[in-house]
Amino acid sequence: MVHYWSNKIQPLLPGWSHPLWGSRNRPEEAKIDTYEVMFIVIPELDEEQVENTIGRFRTIIERTGGEVGEVNNWGRRKLAYEIDHRADGFYYVMEFTAGERTLPELKRILRVSDDVLRYMIVKLPPTYARKLLPETAEVSG
Amino acid sequence: MGRRRSGPSRRERPVKSKPCVFCKENIAYVDYKDYNMLRRFTSDRGKIRARRVTGLCPQHQREAATAIKRAREMALLPYVVGR
Repeated sequence: MVHYWSNKIQPLLPGWSHPLWGSRNRPEEAKIDTYEVMFIVIPELDEEQVENTIGRFRTIIERTGGEVGEVNNWGRRKLAYEIDHRADGFYYVMEFTAGERTLPELKRILRVSDDVLRYMIVKLPPTYARKLLPETAEVSG
Repeated sequence: MGRRRSGPSRRERPVKSKPCVFCKENIAYVDYKDYNMLRRFTSDRGKIRARRVTGLCPQHQREAATAIKRAREMALLPYVVGR
């Protein structure tokens, strides 16, 4: 005979998780986070060298088990303020998913890359619907 | 002459409840890349405007402030204008 309260132990809904246990019971359903990285590459390079630089980061992401999604080239843009006496830079935005080693490795490489002025890695909210990015290339020379 | 004590010194105005622009447009994530939109929430000196000026709800004011700070770090927005 089944105890009358045994159904109370069952999860109420399929997606239900215990407030304390969380989703520890279902690790295989762990969500894959999407990240986005923005680079500012130094303006001294030409387009081809910039593409090579970006390709380098792409291989790092792919080698460490991540996957590169959309890559957006904003082109050469004026900076809002000078960084290292440079008034403009090449902006690239790249969406990717990360493997276990991707983020520390990417950060390490970016830190030692002299051709990257700045970078920023942001985790995108899972519900974020992709919207159109500003099509900008304000400075071209 | 001392301060006037009698009566409300400030006229009570009817409060107009204006929905926050992000709530109105149903924006879930304030993107730091959309710096032209964020520019609306900064003063002409580049400072982040107060909530009473921007009219944003607490959640979106916080998110907009974070987004502005991120945009500043990536030189999309200035830290200070006209130094």
